[in-house]
Amino acid sequence: MSLLKKINEMSDSRRSRKAWFGAVCVVFLTLIIIPSIFVVFRLFTDWSSVDGVIADGATMGVIKGALFNSFSIAFIVTVIDVIVGIPMAWLLVRKHFQGKRYLDTLMDMPLAFPTAVLGISVVMFWGAPEGIDIPGLGLNLSPYAMLILLHTIFTYPYMVRSLSAILEQIEPNYETAAMTLSASRFTAVRTITLPLFRAGLVTGFILCFARSLSETGGTYIALKMMGVQSTFFTGPTFINDAKSLLGPDSAMGPMILISVLMIVLAIALLVAARLMMVRLKIPTSRVWPQFGRRLSRGTVPKIKDALSIAFLLVIVLIPSFYIFAFLTQPVAAVDYGALLSSIGLSFLVAGAAVVFDIVFGIPMALYIARNRRTVLGKMLDEAVNVPLIIPTTALGFSLALFWGMFYSGDSTAVFTAMVILGHISFTYPLVVRNIIGAVEEADASYEEVAMTLGAKPFQAFSKVLVPIIKSSIIAGAILSFTRSLGETGATTSISGAVKTVPVYIMDLVNKDSYAEAAMCSIILIVICFILIFAVRMIINRGERHA
Amino acid sequence: MKIRMENVSMKFGDFYAAKDINISISKGEYLTILGPSGCGKTTLIKMISGILRPTEGCIFVDGEDVTDTHLEDRDTGYVFQNIALFPNMTVSDNVGYSPRVRDMTKDETASVSEEYLKLVKMLDRAGAIPKELSGGEQQKVAIARALASGSKLLMLDEPLSALDARVRVELRYDMRRLVKKLGITVLHVTHDQEEAMSVSDRIILMRAGRIVEIGTPLDMYRNPGSIFAAYFIGETNLLECTVSGKTKTGKTVVRLRGGQMVRAAKSVLTEGDAAVISVRPENVYAAKEGLKAEVTEVVFMGTYRRVRTVAETNDYLEYNISSDDEIPKIGDKVHLVFNKKATMVFPRPEKGLKEAIELE
Repeated sequence: MSLLKKINEMSDSRRSRKAWFGAVCVVFLTLIIIPSIFVVFRLFTDWSSVDGVIADGATMGVIKGALFNSFSIAFIVTVIDVIVGIPMAWLLVRKHFQGKRYLDTLMDMPLAFPTAVLGISVVMFWGAPEGIDIPGLGLNLSPYAMLILLHTIFTYPYMVRSLSAILEQIEPNYETAAMTLSASRFTAVRTITLPLFRAGLVTGFILCFARSLSETGGTYIALKMMGVQSTFFTGPTFINDAKSLLGPDSAMGPMILISVLMIVLAIALLVAARLMMVRLKIPTSRVWPQFGRRLSRGTVPKIKDALSIAFLLVIVLIPSFYIFAFLTQPVAAVDYGALLSSIGLSFLVAGAAVVFDIVFGIPMALYIARNRRTVLGKMLDEAVNVPLIIPTTALGFSLALFWGMFYSGDSTAVFTAMVILGHISFTYPLVVRNIIGAVEEADASYEEVAMTLGAKPFQAFSKVLVPIIKSSIIAGAILSFTRSLGETGATTSISGAVKTVPVYIMDLVNKDSYAEAAMCSIILIVICFILIFAVRMIINRGERHA
Repeated sequence: MKIRMENVSMKFGDFYAAKDINISISKGEYLTILGPSGCGKTTLIKMISGILRPTEGCIFVDGEDVTDTHLEDRDTGYVFQNIALFPNMTVSDNVGYSPRVRDMTKDETASVSEEYLKLVKMLDRAGAIPKELSGGEQQKVAIARALASGSKLLMLDEPLSALDARVRVELRYDMRRLVKKLGITVLHVTHDQEEAMSVSDRIILMRAGRIVEIGTPLDMYRNPGSIFAAYFIGETNLLECTVSGKTKTGKTVVRLRGGQMVRAAKSVLTEGDAAVISVRPENVYAAKEGLKAEVTEVVFMGTYRRVRTVAETNDYLEYNISSDDEIPKIGDKVHLVFNKKATMVFPRPEKGLKEAIELE
């Protein structure tokens, strides 16, 4: 109690508030930003090793191929997400129908699945991989097509969520107004709502693109199950496998090169997307009234809605849950000790990262939300996005190089700490983004009123603002937690010794123990769902009592 | 355009937002729909414009049944409460939207847009985006946009409620002049009874989804058909009483709660009926004798002062005095008399007076 009192007193002084915010900025810079992009410095200091790679045509060919695969898959997947995401967002925000709540919940399911699990499940469903007795559709897909199907699953919810968030803020009255002026629904949407939609479209685009670009575990598992893991690469699977392919020493140059290329390309893309948002104009000067009316009435909208739901079911949900087909098989032997300890480790990493994100994320989010116009506010706003778009495998590799300068031992505890730092880097933006959104919507006058009534700044913050933005903090925390739980690439590229659950599953797949991997996945999913359900229950109960 | 609504109802779940609406509106008429919040005013114009499809009944425009005509084919201008100018377009593009979506050429669109911007005197701001305009300017553009569709039917959903008091008053007369010049039929939703009285040809008074009364502003003010109308339009004093008889000329004599006798206007009530009299503050005067009352408050209203009192019957009574008159002090005893022609008599509602004037 006395500590709280002390904090309250301290929060009254401008200087101590500034000092605290300064500390947050320093933590952000030294623990998150600098380690994330440290590999770029290494490019220059280690130029000799990189130089050799550039001269080596064969390795360069592999690197170029991997980069092409990564970026083109990310692009195609994102375009698919936009096309199917817009009608789905519409359905969720503007339409009222029975069972909408369930559709809403189903939408987030793929986010709770570690991508490694999705990798197994998707290949099982579409293909007929060797070593698995459960019949799939048996399609003979190329690895490229398979990865597009896989990546669509875990990027789709991000797209639908970002589009829905924007759509909710757009006045439905605009469309009605357009229709009273004789525009058909189709024309109204095309000329009014879509142009207003741009910001959400770009956010969704960046999120999905970055997510697809980063994904390692599921991608690797899919490639492995198709037997092409050493001939078909994406950027992250190349980094993941380079050491075993080329040997630890000669791998350094290619790894640095491809990491830097991925980071630079990803950031260039972010900047380009930002610029596009300002420039992009959806052409609206021509209108085809009859055509628009035909598209707005009768069967066309119904077909559109049916297709959106069919896509969700056939492309996203059924392939995700297909892994449960293993329950029809005789139960595979599972090394419960190893599994539970890896789950424990994953929870430790994710939990520690989320706690850090919240403690250091809230002040950052508050500052950015309330100081949008200042130079520092704008800079921080952009900087927070950086770790979000850097491919996590490159980020992990960079982080390992950075902390490797200070530590060269082999203690698993230290490696675990590094992994936590790595997971903090890419989950921090998720928490901060969520809270910025909530703070911007919360009227600053609530806190001002509290302070005119004698509350100290910290009291106004903790007793007034926090309860208002609580649901966003929790949403950000759940998002970060599940994201951390599912991460493979960053973990393996920091240290092979830290066996979190997706890494453990990937190892099982590598040993061809598919049945055991699947069983472990099922156990993991069930634990995740119970956890999410429990969190929701606790929150709901808390709200009812409040 | 003429409008007729026959037995129209709108049900949301178990709740009737509008019930048994029967009205007919003639060409070029300016009607206001008046009533407390949530009484179904907006629902009514949303049904006429096609934004909502009534769950029961039919709507006719110029004799044609349009109940099932789609919103975009209704050809009804609509100005929204929150204005809803398209934020991604300039003022002239907003006004030219309707011609454009009807596939007119660029030149036609531009000339229509110019014509209507001129009408609302906003041509000089044609290139602005809506954000840059003041509230009143935005509202003028919204009206121009609705009129540019060429529609002869215009719905106004509380178009002035978000504006400053001064702008509101100016704009409402401008609006009336404009639509009268163009011969447009207007339905104007408002909760402001002063606004309703000053602009409308007729007022539709609504309460809890039903139409209470339709009439000209003067009729509704002078001869309201119900206690609710008397209370909602203008200000009034309501006193519970019992009819004790009639005078030779047919005037009603009532006994107030304290036993005092008061003469009031003609009515159909007979001796012994429970009644309520309604008398507006401007029809109550201080005199040498009459109902005794004690002054509790005197409020300066500009051209007059409003004196609030508690009468010996325990009723609250308000009356007006000229600003130049001597101001009574709080606690002063006064005698009050009523203008008997303007003292209306209503049967006392079964569920009590309070329920009869409740707004929600």
